[in-house]
Amino acid sequence: MPPQIQRLGLLVVAIVGAYFAARGALRPRSFGQYGWYRGAALTELSALPVTFAGRAACAECHTETVGRMEKSKHKELACEACHGANLEHSENPATTTRKIANPRFCLRCHEANPSRPAKFPQVDPSEHFSDSACLECHQPHAPTEISSK
Amino acid sequence: MKTKMLAFSRRQTLRALGKALGGVLAWEWVSSARAASPKTAEPAPGGGGKPPASAATSPKDYDPTKHSWAMVIDVGKCIGCGLCVQACKEENHVIPEPFYFRTWIERYVTKKPQAGSIEAQGETIVDSPNGGMDGFPASLVPKAEILKSFYVPKLCNHCTDSPCIQACPVGATFDSPDGVVLVDPTYCIGCGFCIQACPYGCRFLNPITRTAEKCTFCYHRVTRGLKTACVEVCPTGARLCGDMKDPASAEPLRRFVRENKVQVLKPHLGTHPKLLYAGLDKEVR
Repeated sequence: MPPQIQRLGLLVVAIVGAYFAARGALRPRSFGQYGWYRGAALTELSALPVTFAGRAACAECHTETVGRMEKSKHKELACEACHGANLEHSENPATTTRKIANPRFCLRCHEANPSRPAKFPQVDPSEHFSDSACLECHQPHAPTEISSK
Repeated sequence: MKTKMLAFSRRQTLRALGKALGGVLAWEWVSSARAASPKTAEPAPGGGGKPPASAATSPKDYDPTKHSWAMVIDVGKCIGCGLCVQACKEENHVIPEPFYFRTWIERYVTKKPQAGSIEAQGETIVDSPNGGMDGFPASLVPKAEILKSFYVPKLCNHCTDSPCIQACPVGATFDSPDGVVLVDPTYCIGCGFCIQACPYGCRFLNPITRTAEKCTFCYHRVTRGLKTACVEVCPTGARLCGDMKDPASAEPLRRFVRENKVQVLKPHLGTHPKLLYAGLDKEVR
């Protein structure tokens, strides 16, 4: 074989080898596990920390309150919708729960607004006992039970 | 030193290069063999602290090929409270400033047509103050002038044929085996092509990490058997999510599709979203 062909062959082998070496060194191990991306990204994204515990976690201890809610108009409402994200408390009950700071928090959902579905219960806060906190009459865990003022 | 450099002949150079190449190839072979060998389970990145919630079992045994996530939204049930937007920001540590949203709520207000007009409806005004995160103030349009008004929650449509994935030059965004469109933040180069490609405006560039960010379908929650944060806190059940490969989990979604006339956003684009809407208006884009 003429020497120039040998050198050419050697060069081709070197280039192909360099390509595979670079590919092996630069490409993440899990790339291509499921598709044209890093498969390990799925594990990393699923390992992110959770903030909202979910209603099932609350029901483990607060059986009575959750049971009462399940019979009420608020049966579909998540505890953390009003009380805020509380994984910390569900893991360690010694930590205090978050209180609802705003005494008229109910208005966030129940304030009259023409954009809301008409059948959704709404009140005009300027007409409906404008000087009182909602909880003076209403029980949020059983909203149709009205205590007389 | 100079004479030594000159004494380094072509033959020596080629030999040295050949040895280096052989060394790299051998190293690659060894490291790939090591990666393939059944090693002890690698620790979860970012973990190391306390285990997840008791209700949330560890996603260790989660197999992405055995699930398929989908969401449905009932526009007629949304009351625009914004708890979903707030929960999303809190759960996913989304930058608190406005304009960075993984989910948001739009308010549509259609005015009555002018007197004597042949039009069925007047102008439609859309707004989303702070993404609806703090609820909505009273509409600027007086109540007497409103023909109709409603809220539309928006988020990533998790398209089956996603324009964003096609635009990504490095394979940093992808359609996971369980049907979720995700971004690999360690692989994203922050070029922003996917943000331009998304026809629904669901992506943004995180100004701190300089990588693209979007709704992950609360991947860290659904893989632990929890609902997404927005579905968890929605007080009216306007949003539902489920695993279409699990009959029990998919049943509420199938019932929703059976009982409602469902639509997707921008069907003419052929993106085939997995996010289905009931009660969409022609004004919603």
